[in-house]
Amino acid sequence: MSVDQAQTSPGRLGTWATKFGGNWMLGLGLAIGLLLSLGALAALLMPLPEAFSGSLMTRFKAPLSPGYFLGSDQLGRSVLARLAVGMPWSLGIALTASIIAVGVGTAAGLTAAARPGLTRRVIQHFLDTVIAFPALIIAVTVIALVGRGFFPLAVTLGLATWPISARVIYAEGLSVMRREYVVAADLLGVGLARSVLVHVLPAVRPTLLVMFAFTFADMLIAESALSFLGLGVPLTATSWGNMLSESRQYLIEAPWLMLAPAGMIVLAAVAFNLIGDGIALRSRGRSRSAG
Amino acid sequence: MNRLKAIGRILGRRLGELLILLFAITTLLFFLLRLSGDPAAVLAGEQAAPEQVAAIRALYGLDAPLPVQYFRHLRNVLFLDFGQSLHAGRPAIDMVTERLGSTLMLGLFALTLTAVLAIPIGAWLGARPDARSRRVGNAAIFILQGLPGYIVGLLLIELLAVQFRLLPSIGNRGALSWVLPTLTLASFLVPKLARVVAANVTEAMREDFIRTARANGATTAEAVLRHALPNALLGATALISTQFAFLLSGAVITEWIFAWPGFGQLLIQSLQRLDFPVVQAAVFVTAGLVFAVNAGTDVLFRLIDPRLRNQRA
Repeated sequence: MSVDQAQTSPGRLGTWATKFGGNWMLGLGLAIGLLLSLGALAALLMPLPEAFSGSLMTRFKAPLSPGYFLGSDQLGRSVLARLAVGMPWSLGIALTASIIAVGVGTAAGLTAAARPGLTRRVIQHFLDTVIAFPALIIAVTVIALVGRGFFPLAVTLGLATWPISARVIYAEGLSVMRREYVVAADLLGVGLARSVLVHVLPAVRPTLLVMFAFTFADMLIAESALSFLGLGVPLTATSWGNMLSESRQYLIEAPWLMLAPAGMIVLAAVAFNLIGDGIALRSRGRSRSAG
Repeated sequence: MNRLKAIGRILGRRLGELLILLFAITTLLFFLLRLSGDPAAVLAGEQAAPEQVAAIRALYGLDAPLPVQYFRHLRNVLFLDFGQSLHAGRPAIDMVTERLGSTLMLGLFALTLTAVLAIPIGAWLGARPDARSRRVGNAAIFILQGLPGYIVGLLLIELLAVQFRLLPSIGNRGALSWVLPTLTLASFLVPKLARVVAANVTEAMREDFIRTARANGATTAEAVLRHALPNALLGATALISTQFAFLLSGAVITEWIFAWPGFGQLLIQSLQRLDFPVVQAAVFVTAGLVFAVNAGTDVLFRLIDPRLRNQRA
């Protein structure tokens, strides 16, 4: 298997994107991602009283009313401000969970790639078994047992989904291990651990970045899904998933309560999918022109 | 004869995986439950008096040493005895199995709808690699893939149940109430399947046997339908087995959105009520389903693919 193939496999856009070139996807994705991150930082630093207190006078204002760009909710709180307050929760959990998932996945994947024989077989078998099991069911069960909160949720999501990264990194690492310079390093007596860190890890970096972007999008959706099920962030916290969950009772009188957080989740997920596809296309183009 | 042996070997390997999985899950849940606090206190409820907690501890054998409890639990699980539901006071495993039919029917309808929608779309997209319609189609698939299934479900409720009042959105009451849950669950897999079918058809169209068929006078439609598509469907079957876990996750969320009386709804309700016997039974049954589907598709592969049929396992 060539490197190209391993790098294209996580691509979610396929041939459609090649017609347009990869850079606009990366650019658009990064622009949205940057805006969201700045928004999350601003929401952490700025007091946003409109997100927490309202009055019956300001209940169910329609979007675009003065002072309530995206309307207000059943307690008269500004939906826009609540979206901002939810950002650190939603993006922070997705970020922490992705770091764990890709980190553990890389360690396991490269270990399996570097050590043929029993270690590889055990890891592969483990991955096959875990991937076949619904990650959501593992996650909701563990959360219900260990409790809600930022870190329980982020760690559980990361640990429930790392096998997917591990499998991709393994395939990529295996092909890098067979390259001449890695084989040469081995023959020259460079230790296995050093060889993996110095020669293999940098070579799989594009794949790592791609996996990270896709995992981030998936974690964002997973966090909101768990919160939607009432088994995610604490019920008192403001996250996009919690907003969606609450909005179900007001679908008739205030559909914007559902549409606003749904739109944010989709926007953020699409942005990070674009980033992943953009990086995949770029690195593929580079290795093609190089070889 | 040879074929039977190969099938036996597949089933044996999958069964081994299942046993390891069940063992791991049972152990994980057992120790997580013990780590997360005093199960007796949880079982007794928040307002229970100390005597009540002690009574429950004795009743469930929670006063025994941990290793003894663990092996007792393993033995019970071996006989599918997960204890009584704390909420309903009935055997937990019965509550799960009686909900299973509703979930499986929903899953079956959703899979059928997925196939009916995704295979023609995929074949059509894959058979014309250069047309502009293909670009539009691929863009649509990309956007659909970014839409989480449960958001599709909420949008469907908003549009078809709330705004236009065409369809019921809660529970299972009559034929019409199947429409929205089926559509929602199908939306989890349609974009993925369509993309795989499209890619496989495109690839198959470049093969020699297509050129031969064309040389023999087959039209494009004939070449696609009779030669490229059967090849592509093999990949689609593989997708259903690898995505079954995803489909089950989707079913849990879908059932929750639509208050569908299936086992996913039961799982979430039991988790919210901390009804652990039912949770354990539900997770156990999930593992069984995963095993059945994976073993089933493995065997199916052997039967439908002539190349695999004669290969050794």
